[in-house]
Amino acid sequence: MTGEPVTLRVNGAERPVAAVAPWTTLLTVLRDEFGLTGAKRGCNQGVCGACTVTIDGEPVRSCLSLALNCADRDIVTVEGLVPAGAPAGALAPVQQALAEGNAVQCGFCTPGILISAHALLRRNAPLTVDEVRAGLSGNLCRCSGYKKIVEAVVSASEARP
Amino acid sequence: MTPLDTSATGVGASLPRLDAREKVTGRAQYIADMVRPGMLHAAIHASPHAHARIRGYDTAEAQAVPGVACVLTGDDFPDGRMGAFIKDEPAIAKGKVRYPGEPVAVVAAEDEETARRAAALIRVDYEDLPVAATPEEAVAPDAPLIHEGLADYFKVFPAICGGNVASETELSEGDVDAAWADCDVIVEGDFETPAQAHLSIEPVGALAEVDAEGRVTLWSANQSVFRVQANVCEALQLPMSKLRCLTPKVGAGFGNKMEPHVQPLVVQLALKTGRPVKLILNRTEDFETVRARHPFKIRCKTGAKKDGTLVARELSAVLDCGAYGDDSPGVLGYSLLMSRGPYRIPHCRASGKLVYTNRMRFGAFRGFGNPQVTFATESQIDEIAGRLGMDPLDLRMKNRMQPGDRWFGGGEVASNGLAECIEKAKAAAGWARGRALPAPPGKRRALGVAACAHISGLLATGAIVRLLEDGSVVLNTGAVDIGQGSDTVLTQMCASALKVPADRVAIASPDTDGSPYNWGTTASRVTYTTGRSVVAAAGKVAEQIKRHASEIFECAVEDLELRDGGRVGIKGVPDKELSFFEVSGRAHWAAGGPIVGTDTWVYNQPSVDPKRALARGLPFPQIGVYSFGCMIAAVEIDETTGKADVVEVWSAMDVGKAINPGSVEGQIEGGFVQGMGFALTEEMVFDGPRLANPSMMDYKAPTSLDAPFDIHSIIVEAAEPGGPFGAKGIGEIGLVPVPAAIANAVASAIGTRLRRLPLTPERVLDGMLEDGDED
Amino acid sequence: MEFVRPDSIEATVAALQADGAACLAGGATLVAMMNADLVAPHRLVSLRDVAALREAARQPDGTVVVGAMRRHRETAEETDLRDGQLVLSEAAAQIANPPVRNMGTIGGSCAFADPAADYPPALLAADARFSLIGAEGRRTVPAGDFFLDWYETALEPGELIESVVLPPAPARTVGSYTKLARVAGDFAIASVALVLGMDGRACIHLAVAVGACGPAPVRRRDVEADLIGGGLGDTEIRRLTDALAEAFDPVDDVRASADYRRRVAPRMVRQALVEAQQRISETP
Repeated sequence: MTGEPVTLRVNGAERPVAAVAPWTTLLTVLRDEFGLTGAKRGCNQGVCGACTVTIDGEPVRSCLSLALNCADRDIVTVEGLVPAGAPAGALAPVQQALAEGNAVQCGFCTPGILISAHALLRRNAPLTVDEVRAGLSGNLCRCSGYKKIVEAVVSASEARP
Repeated sequence: MTPLDTSATGVGASLPRLDAREKVTGRAQYIADMVRPGMLHAAIHASPHAHARIRGYDTAEAQAVPGVACVLTGDDFPDGRMGAFIKDEPAIAKGKVRYPGEPVAVVAAEDEETARRAAALIRVDYEDLPVAATPEEAVAPDAPLIHEGLADYFKVFPAICGGNVASETELSEGDVDAAWADCDVIVEGDFETPAQAHLSIEPVGALAEVDAEGRVTLWSANQSVFRVQANVCEALQLPMSKLRCLTPKVGAGFGNKMEPHVQPLVVQLALKTGRPVKLILNRTEDFETVRARHPFKIRCKTGAKKDGTLVARELSAVLDCGAYGDDSPGVLGYSLLMSRGPYRIPHCRASGKLVYTNRMRFGAFRGFGNPQVTFATESQIDEIAGRLGMDPLDLRMKNRMQPGDRWFGGGEVASNGLAECIEKAKAAAGWARGRALPAPPGKRRALGVAACAHISGLLATGAIVRLLEDGSVVLNTGAVDIGQGSDTVLTQMCASALKVPADRVAIASPDTDGSPYNWGTTASRVTYTTGRSVVAAAGKVAEQIKRHASEIFECAVEDLELRDGGRVGIKGVPDKELSFFEVSGRAHWAAGGPIVGTDTWVYNQPSVDPKRALARGLPFPQIGVYSFGCMIAAVEIDETTGKADVVEVWSAMDVGKAINPGSVEGQIEGGFVQGMGFALTEEMVFDGPRLANPSMMDYKAPTSLDAPFDIHSIIVEAAEPGGPFGAKGIGEIGLVPVPAAIANAVASAIGTRLRRLPLTPERVLDGMLEDGDED
Repeated sequence: MEFVRPDSIEATVAALQADGAACLAGGATLVAMMNADLVAPHRLVSLRDVAALREAARQPDGTVVVGAMRRHRETAEETDLRDGQLVLSEAAAQIANPPVRNMGTIGGSCAFADPAADYPPALLAADARFSLIGAEGRRTVPAGDFFLDWYETALEPGELIESVVLPPAPARTVGSYTKLARVAGDFAIASVALVLGMDGRACIHLAVAVGACGPAPVRRRDVEADLIGGGLGDTEIRRLTDALAEAFDPVDDVRASADYRRRVAPRMVRQALVEAQQRISETP
């Protein structure tokens, strides 16, 4: 890869890349350089939401974020939803809620959904059905019809201390 | 490890998906996530023309790009052709191109960017040919011939074809022409449905790797490793023993990944380069070069007596096949088989024509032609009810197929829960309150209903159940879980059959080397057909376990029973029992050999009874096992704009037995929303032969704000004799009645019958403003 | 391709003077187009570190200056916008979806000037002005003169949107933005932005702009002026919608037909005006 070096802070760790081209997106770097393949490339146009990650706490499209523009930002991917130091195999409550609520079918949209849900859960509690529907409206799911996903996120918001 | 709630695991429990943990942690591997040592990345060069002769290629510039390992054109591919029904499709365009977006050349390079850059540098010398963009153009007298070799292509069924007509099918019972005279009311109309994109969030892709002996291993996004193997080997003229097909996690299919996409391309690149090659289509390529739901034009006529007794139905359909046959003949034949609906209509004739055009190929999509014909036929049931002043649900109830009735054509129907579906949907939706519902100012609300049926018995399947040394179990079926949850459901069946907890059963990933044949994850068939094999194979394991126990206990096999937790014991003697560990140890090391149960079968009940029905050109001689359903939708129309939204829906589906009720609900809810997209917003718009909206910016599927939250899944269980635990299919039926139910609600709300999908704000507003033709 | 990340407006303007330079604001549009191989700027000038562009401020007279890098989510939640200015926050709240609203900026969206986007009619109805800065200095362009044609604005090469300036809305005016789209978050089939003030039954402020019905948002100030001072009943609304419809120049696209746009937009205007009057009459 041609370009300039950059260091990205992903899931709490500083991760240097030797050379990133100006047009290279954060999604590409996450997947191809860091092996963080949880974020998916569904459309590369910012529509489907499968690539959603948080930058400085807000969900954004990693396919529309240029990697060089992400230096000094806090990036969290689905792989970082479980806090560092948690026991191996631990799940964040929202991950558990989706898994147990039959809210995961093919799973391709799931990482993006979890990131959007995670951000919603940090902002308000408990969440209403309509708040979750609005909050997840940038994450397309073609399998579930959304109902069980919305239910799972609402239940995760109610279960929080 | 955070435990998931898996307290109940057997048949009837909503066990979380076996792969839920790896999916919620982002660790599940899909085809795009796979990497092999030394792997090359490929990109396609797609045809900009709809129909053109290829006079030559200039690949020099592409070859010269640093990092390019290989450039292949049609000249570098064998002459084989693939196709589920008609072998009409080469792995890559050869001699001519037949649709815009058809792969013409393919490049492998060290990285994807280089491959794409090089692919854009390939020059192809085309000679434009006249274009047939629609079935009407393609059957015109002076239409260009899209497949000059059609007559000589190999076909797997008695295809009636010629010119640009790929297949004609007809099915009839009774004497339709005479029956119209017996009708007091006849409705007739033309219906039209658009192409719908599958829009799996995962675009298609494949990765091939060749070993030192020239044998290829192929991973791909697919719905059947066996269909991948067959297609690639046909197109590349390889012995099937030279290709092993495997599957990573699949990011949904809906029919899109059943037949081939880019698999033959990566195999050829791997064979030519000797290196692993991966090709992932981008979203636009996925839209343009894979496949979509067939556009249908349907003429339908239905007649009834004054008392509502249905007498006759005639339906004729024209399907745009696109440039290649793919699953299209099957879709045509199946849609006609569904055209009588789940009713007694003594006189029925259905005919259809499948026409090649210079558009992308159309193929299997959840419902397989049934949603299209059901839109027409269930609209007409409502029209008849309107003309007769009858309640549409009463009319359906009155004419429904009764126990023992045969399907259109004469196929046997062993279980039928339609009456219960109708009654339950009716009660849950509060149908008695009237079809017009109270609405906020500026809005109208109404209920609409549709009933339907769908098959789940089709083609061949097998299962292998092995008892491991410690008494745990491995299940191997070859069925690909495309996200709908079949791994979980089959595991639950196996666990219940052997009375072990589900976590004692491992399920093998499909592998053409090691798995028994499975035609595919399609046609709502895995729960029923594969489930039957799983239960049968597990039964054979149970027999062997009992035989060992009978030898140890010196008792009769009939006196033994399996007990919960993986034990076998003497009936009525609680302390006389052995664990599977003890039995399997004996089998492995001392007597009888390892315990393996296998089962294979092919669905063999005839679709047509020649004594009852006439059939021509029918592609499925053996198909059956019917699920039934009834759906009521509450739709709200905005009076200012005509925009229609579904606010609540009640979907009662007869699945025989819900092996995993949570998963059944997931199929009903997901099927509803995909059907709602088809009914309201989704349309692949064509500009002549070319797709005008091949992006997610321009093609719109429902979001979480468009889908109603209040989707009520009502599970009806009319046990299927011979079905595993009584189960039959649920994969597609939840989508089938959706456009009709919504259209019927819209007709109620605006007073005008709309016969063309999608029901856009424009069409609804036009309907609302014109004088209604709905009685 | 070159990537630069200046930290001041001056440095940004300097960086933009190269041929083929393009501003990278939120990336929601530009990167999508780069990914689709539709554009390939020679120089990407990232605005992320230009703090001055990220702010919004309310001046004592009620004027609100929205920095070009304000993201849609921030504008949707902007507490500095009041009364009729809320037309802008209503529009911002309907753009795309939450992750895109966390990225996309008002400057980036307006510079791209998609006629079906949400800001153009809202800014036109709010009588907003664009503050542009280039090598020659600053200039101010009213929204009506900024959106020129399909994807074409008054921005000159090397020029940057610094801010969008909303004049104070007369007290007790209401602003509303109504969008018809195929699905939530899609671009508009048609949209209506309005700012309305009523004194009893008399209309004292009226601004109606229609989006997605031509190359630029449509507004008929001449007819609006005629209607000031009178009532706003069916006849008056009809005069306005007829005049607006005359100015429409819609096209057929994958979202809807031109014909439908011509028919539905006047209905939407009427409905929006009726609802706005109702809101006013219900406000104590």
